[in-house]
Amino acid sequence: MARKITFKIFRFNPYDEGSSPFQQEYKLEETPRLNLFSALNIIRDEQDPTLMFDFVCRAGICGSCAMMINGRPTLACRTLTSDLPETIELFPLPFFKMLGDLSVDTGVWFRGISERLESWIHTDGTFDTKSVEKLMDNELANEIYEADRCIECGSCVSGCATANVYPDFLGATGLNRIARYMIDPRDMRDNEAWFELVSTYEGVFGCIGMMACEDVCPKNIPLLDTFSRVRRLMIETGLSSKSTLLKTHS
Amino acid sequence: MSQIKTDLYPEAMRGGGRESAAFKKAGKVLRAEIISGGTGLFLAFFIMGHLVLESSILLGKPTYNVVVGLLEKTLPIAQVLIFIVTIAFFFHFVYASRKIPPRLADRRKMMELGLSIKKSRRWWNQPKSDIRLKNHLETSLWIWQVRTGMAVLAMGAFHLFLVMWNLFSDMGFAGHAGLTAQISANRVGSGLWILYLLLGITVVTHLSIGLYRLAVKWAADSLDRKSIYILCNLIFWVFLALNILAVLGFAGKVSL
Repeated sequence: MARKITFKIFRFNPYDEGSSPFQQEYKLEETPRLNLFSALNIIRDEQDPTLMFDFVCRAGICGSCAMMINGRPTLACRTLTSDLPETIELFPLPFFKMLGDLSVDTGVWFRGISERLESWIHTDGTFDTKSVEKLMDNELANEIYEADRCIECGSCVSGCATANVYPDFLGATGLNRIARYMIDPRDMRDNEAWFELVSTYEGVFGCIGMMACEDVCPKNIPLLDTFSRVRRLMIETGLSSKSTLLKTHS
Repeated sequence: MSQIKTDLYPEAMRGGGRESAAFKKAGKVLRAEIISGGTGLFLAFFIMGHLVLESSILLGKPTYNVVVGLLEKTLPIAQVLIFIVTIAFFFHFVYASRKIPPRLADRRKMMELGLSIKKSRRWWNQPKSDIRLKNHLETSLWIWQVRTGMAVLAMGAFHLFLVMWNLFSDMGFAGHAGLTAQISANRVGSGLWILYLLLGITVVTHLSIGLYRLAVKWAADSLDRKSIYILCNLIFWVFLALNILAVLGFAGKVSL
């Protein structure tokens, strides 16, 4: 009754001069509730110890295991083999630097994004340990949390045709990150600062609107909703006659 | 405030207020987005109105002549509108094509990714998984929007020229200039039906995809994407049918 699954896995080691890319086949008997995390580990343990892939948390939290599964970038640990046909093709994420086989380096790119966007709270305020912390209303906190749920797996940028063609593009994850600071009342950057950062071809207006980011996001972050809010804020800022220092939520 | 043009020296851009080069550059990007979207929206509504009015041929030639008479003779709407539309048409081409990757290799990359994500949908067995997998065909839809856009650019430019010329001078279609059922029918009869049919199909495809993308881009938080998708699908089929019927109507094959 159990299916025999054929894995066609992309193999290539960029650090080995003699290596050239090819697809290697592995066969595995399917067990109930088998996910790709377990399947790949079984293959590595029992069939091929040279197979390279990334995993840390195996619970959809760390974002390391994103790969192209039958053509769609998503998390391997949250994909059951029973949802897929008998032949499963695995490729590393495009866009990111390849480390070998299914393993890519997302970290360097994400660090670069953080630095470009200065994704930390910009404030002149001093931190007083004795005072009561500033409270935020629940609705706003939830909205910020919604954007903060991003695990930086890189699925959205890998599935984004714009990012794959224009490597400077901030991608859905970068725009989502900056949108999170836009609504955070603790961040004192004004709308002009956002405008310079985001109303660019690297920012929200580089987006062609192919919507793959939201459709492949394994955490179901409402990216398109966020981007329309950002776009309208950009219009407001760009068209307003005088400088406004108003936060969107004040 | 410096007057030096900094477009060639991006590293000379520094932030800091409304007068800075970086802010102005961002303003230009925003302006381009507004122009491409705005002209697109205007042209989409124009085409929809155009197709509805043109379909009055289905109610017979006298009705059509009353409609075009209102638009041309009673009020000179057609004469003014054709210039506005032609200008919008070329502005839309210049500004909307700015995001098409210039290199063929890059376009192929887009294509490969679009097809791969579109095909992947067939392989997932959604209900069993805890991941909500949505159908994705928008990347390939965008590619079709570019293709139909190019077709509309070629055929639409010809159509605009022909109508503009014929509006003011007799081109021998019916022995007079302007807009009448006789001119339109003779144009269709002269073999141009193939142009009107193809132009209609491509322009309706282009505008329905464009309206969908525009709505999602600017109002995804207040409108439901699925409803927009259904609505734009409806627009596509209704106006496609209208276009085909109108061409058949001019050819004298169909009337109500």
